[in-house]
Amino acid sequence: MENILNKDIRAVIDQCPEVGRILEEYNIGCAPCSVGSCLVSDVVGVHGLDPQTEATLMYKMEKALYPDRDIPEPKVDMSKVVPKEINYSPAVKNLVDEHVWIKRLLALIPTITDFVEKSETVDKDLVMSCIDFIRGYADKFHHMKEEDILFKYVDEKSEIIKVMYDDHITGRNHVKNVVEGAESGNKAQIKEHLHGYRDLLTQHIKKEDEILYPWIERQMSDNQIGELFQRCSAADASVGEELPKKYEKFIIELEEKFAKEN
Amino acid sequence: MSDCCPGSKTMDFSDDEQTEDETGARQSQLKQWPIQLHLVSPQAPYFQEKDVLLAADCVPFTLADFHKDHLKGKSLAIACPKLDSDQDVYVDKIASLIDDSKINTLTVMIMQVPCCGGLAQIAKSGADKATRKIPVKQIVVGVEGGQVLSEEWL
Repeated sequence: MENILNKDIRAVIDQCPEVGRILEEYNIGCAPCSVGSCLVSDVVGVHGLDPQTEATLMYKMEKALYPDRDIPEPKVDMSKVVPKEINYSPAVKNLVDEHVWIKRLLALIPTITDFVEKSETVDKDLVMSCIDFIRGYADKFHHMKEEDILFKYVDEKSEIIKVMYDDHITGRNHVKNVVEGAESGNKAQIKEHLHGYRDLLTQHIKKEDEILYPWIERQMSDNQIGELFQRCSAADASVGEELPKKYEKFIIELEEKFAKEN
Repeated sequence: MSDCCPGSKTMDFSDDEQTEDETGARQSQLKQWPIQLHLVSPQAPYFQEKDVLLAADCVPFTLADFHKDHLKGKSLAIACPKLDSDQDVYVDKIASLIDDSKINTLTVMIMQVPCCGGLAQIAKSGADKATRKIPVKQIVVGVEGGQVLSEEWL
């Protein structure tokens, strides 16, 4: 099993698709991941499974990969495995709460692109106000706290962090394309890249809330948790409390606008 | 006896099997004196910018590895929310620890008995009263077997 632990998960799933299905069974969604460069050992470790569940998962994967091997089955009573509720520290809880505002914009994107498609001309102000939210709130206010503060507490060269950085860069490319579409009045370009951003961020936020943030916090001491809170509070204070309020108000008004139109 | 207060209910664990012997001296992780919350000054040097552990009186006797697993690296205050008097002073002292000594985090360790929840409430009230905000964690310790039952940021 040792050599499998050091392989890319994508290579292992390509070799044996059953491994992807087994991971799904444990709510580890590696099969649809577009990157798939995480090592198997990181994939298993990052989910913080209890030792018995982890042993069973490893047994099933090994059995799928090497059906002819005589592998002893770990004795586990799965009925006694209680799913853990995620308890975030205050600074990370704030990041999770910020995700909720971003997800509210993502939920509106299909309605917005329908509206753009049906309009005679592109409502550039509407599109650019969404872009302003993405750039000002999601990227500058939120992602910068992750990149400048939170991710510094773990090895930034680890695959999972690289995937997060890649997602941020891909997201910025979608935004650039939406802006180009708004400038040129290209409705198809706006739709393609707003939907691309929506799909990307939906998965990105899920990975962060359920896997990355708990993984990072498990590695942090109480002293670092306190320091993280003060650094994030200082970052929030540096932009002022009006900035997040402005963007939260924007989301509420956008929801009201489209609720009325429908 | 089954209906009596869990905080003062008589229980005997002496028949519980001991799994291992221990040899050798352990090092104390206590780096200060005094420790009782009425006796400590919230502005004491040993609290400045530190991670502070507020433990209910019974907690250290319950956990065999209290020093190694919970006290190490932290400054300490102890109190009993059931028996101690003048508990308003406790709220003010916790607020002062946060505002004046600028402590980094506050961890409140309580027993699973209902009356111990009062200490967590004191910690929360003190944190709410303070102008500065810091992460506050609650750890609940089981009476029998001395295990940590839950650990959560509040």
